[in-house]
Amino acid sequence: MKAARGLAAAPLRFELDGGALALLEPSHDVPLVSLVLALRCGSAADPSDRSGLARITMRMLRRGCEGMSAEQTDFRIDALGAEMAVDASPSTVAIHAQVISRNLDAFVDLLVRMLGSPAFHDAELGKLKRESVAEIVEARDSDRVVAHKAMQRTFFAGHPYGQNPGGTTGSVEAIDRDDVVAFHRRYLVKGNVVIAFAGDVTPERAPVLARRLVDALASGDAAPDSVPEPRSPPGRRLLVVDKPERTQTQILVGTMGTSPHDDDHVPLLVSSAIFGGTFTSRLMREVRSKRGWSYGASARAGTDRRRQAWIMWTFPAAQDAAPCLALSLELLETWIASGVTPRETSFIRNYLVRSHAFDVDTAAKRMSQALDVELLSLPADYFTGWVDKVRTVTAESATAAVKNRIRTDSLLAVVVGTASEVLEPLRAAVPRLDEASVVPFDAE
Amino acid sequence: MRDPAAGRSAWAAQANADTRDEGATLTYEGPHPFGGETLHRWRLGNGLTVLVLVDVTAPIVAYYTWINVGSRHERPGKTGLAHLFEHLMFGETEKLGAGAFDRKLEEIGAETNAATWVDWTYYHELIPADRIKLTIKLEAERLERLVLKEPQVASEKDVVANERRYRVDDDVEGFASELLYKTAFELHPYHWPTIGWMDDIRGFTPEDCVAFYRTYYAPNNATLVVVGHVRERDILLAIRDAYGRIPRQTVPAEDVAPEPTQLSQRQLSIRKPTTSEKLAVAFKGPALGDADHAALTVLSEVLFGGRASRLYRSLVVERELALDVRGWVSTFRDPGLFECWTTARASHTAAEILPVLDEAFERARMDLVGEEELARAQARLELGAVQQLETMSGKAEQIGFFETVLGDPTHAFHRVQAFRRTTAGDLRRVARRYLLHSARTVLTVVPETGPAPAGAAQ
Repeated sequence: MKAARGLAAAPLRFELDGGALALLEPSHDVPLVSLVLALRCGSAADPSDRSGLARITMRMLRRGCEGMSAEQTDFRIDALGAEMAVDASPSTVAIHAQVISRNLDAFVDLLVRMLGSPAFHDAELGKLKRESVAEIVEARDSDRVVAHKAMQRTFFAGHPYGQNPGGTTGSVEAIDRDDVVAFHRRYLVKGNVVIAFAGDVTPERAPVLARRLVDALASGDAAPDSVPEPRSPPGRRLLVVDKPERTQTQILVGTMGTSPHDDDHVPLLVSSAIFGGTFTSRLMREVRSKRGWSYGASARAGTDRRRQAWIMWTFPAAQDAAPCLALSLELLETWIASGVTPRETSFIRNYLVRSHAFDVDTAAKRMSQALDVELLSLPADYFTGWVDKVRTVTAESATAAVKNRIRTDSLLAVVVGTASEVLEPLRAAVPRLDEASVVPFDAE
Repeated sequence: MRDPAAGRSAWAAQANADTRDEGATLTYEGPHPFGGETLHRWRLGNGLTVLVLVDVTAPIVAYYTWINVGSRHERPGKTGLAHLFEHLMFGETEKLGAGAFDRKLEEIGAETNAATWVDWTYYHELIPADRIKLTIKLEAERLERLVLKEPQVASEKDVVANERRYRVDDDVEGFASELLYKTAFELHPYHWPTIGWMDDIRGFTPEDCVAFYRTYYAPNNATLVVVGHVRERDILLAIRDAYGRIPRQTVPAEDVAPEPTQLSQRQLSIRKPTTSEKLAVAFKGPALGDADHAALTVLSEVLFGGRASRLYRSLVVERELALDVRGWVSTFRDPGLFECWTTARASHTAAEILPVLDEAFERARMDLVGEEELARAQARLELGAVQQLETMSGKAEQIGFFETVLGDPTHAFHRVQAFRRTTAGDLRRVARRYLLHSARTVLTVVPETGPAPAGAAQ
């Protein structure tokens, strides 16, 4: 039988040369190691006419390095029982890898070559750009993705958070080798990386491997955090993203949310969970359980270095879109006006405190939390103090947070549907509407 | 050395001495080595199978209830009933009002969900370890005393109709996949989708649901899988007390017709509001329990698995005809499909891609796969297998899936061994056996704005 371990302990930290940091969450339950190499900057650092650059640069690392072609690199990754992907968000871009633990050293050797001597061949960059453009076009098949992209670029228009981490077809096509080399030179440097291991690796081995990775990088400082605080766009707006033959709609309603540094951040998250965070939340009960209008219904506040949007999501049939949007807005108004009850607050506190065990039950999850603290500049006790902070939330503090932060005079409803069928009913469903517009689903 | 089986059997005899109800007696049926751990098999007198894996690495428990019923047990005109029923299981019971099941579980911090597929249905909870007993009572309650009335059934039918719109009607690949199976299977129940045809979903009555419940939701048709930070004996006694009184039922023998041998290629093309052409080629494949299944899975990995696979290299990297390629062998109780999917790039067509696929299939039939290529595929499959056992939920799902489909809860490990044993000769043999032009279905999806598809089916 395996030994029980406490799950609340912080990960091991290793300060490395040049300002690099390594983290370790050991666990020997399965012969697997998760490895993340993350930068302290993400798509928000992309030039506005080169959005997607951070992601493209990191994806180029596996497409050829000194002594190895892209094909050889791909083959080697697979042969080691490993997988590797790049994930980009406004505040960080990272390589995520998993490898069978017996091959960890060999995989790190491969990663050292990729990091230290990337070729950035023009031909490979051309291939990747064409591939990325095709991915962007293909993503238009998903109404959900279309809705979220439209919300992001419209709600945060003019702000770096409005840039899609994957870029647009135009911005990706504009990226050239000099851009990639410059990004690599500036940001893939010792002071700007955090390396994290989780799983079947020992506290003795992890820092040795991390140093090998860091030694492959040039010296350099962490990226400056120059992203401004986003401002709430004024007015109540409706944006219909027109797509033909939709039997269903995707509805997002967004307003400005919370910053992790707000005093009332946790009370707002707790109140949002009451509103739309569980299967028995207010939103789910009214939209799905009572009326059967939507398979899912949820609301959540995003977390980033700066204030992110608070968004609720439903996806009713086209004929139910207008009443569903009207009901969602009515529930939102009631939530702000009347707040939450002590009974609801007690219930959700129990849920959040007790379900916390599932946020930290694997080494990879604990590592992910520790990485978020580093990369999103969260308060040091953001996750480790979560349970204690939730316990102190009262109905009064949760209600006050909603009244203080959630505004319905600054609100954007994005609906993906067939405009000829849904626009007019939707327009009538939004009281005090300031502006309604329609864009095609392939708009960027 | 102390015999753990004898110790468990002796303990069961003691526990049974206090029990008058025959349905509540506990029988130890033996250990199953599960990696470095041991899974224990128990059975209640009413036929309920209980599989327990103690894992104290985190203070949580994964509690899975697998019911041996899926869309294969339905009949034309009543398709989607197993899936609708999965939704209804979260409704009212004799003791619990509407919404109370979820509410009580959420209050203890549990995460809960369910899934239905062609061969099975499962319900799962992830629970803080100190709250397991409430979960056991709630699961037993809904297995025995579900209330099925018109308002609840009507509302849930609307939810399922919306789920169908989301997953199928407004989803290009969801729609295409449904059509692929509808075309490839003519007689076997794999012909219809698990979510059901929309007209059938709309037509269900509470009486249909009651009959389904009484037929299939029986202890002797279910398996409980418990993985986590538990004391085995405490859990067994709690399960006995909650489930022991539920009577066994007569589950009808399966009445599934085998699919006749396919003798000629089936081809169809559809128009959809999509940006690019999509191509699916599906060969008739082996059942999960067939000895060929592992070898065909390895071959699929050689052809489609990862960026270094043959067809990714050929179609995505070198010729830039496609955006992606994917292939898998369905893991069904009866013979399913070996599905190959590609998405053409905007300026290219499925007609350009099909010859490249055919060339790769022909090469697999003619030539032996090289040692390094085989090792690459095996390494990827080993990684995937380990990843599935990373969490308690992952272990519980693997145990329950293989127990329900094959009657072997540790088959995940045997499968990895089978992948390792597979030779290049095995790959060529299964390529020759399954990659048959006459036993395949070819489906093309064409953008509505593009040229009319040749031989359009609908």
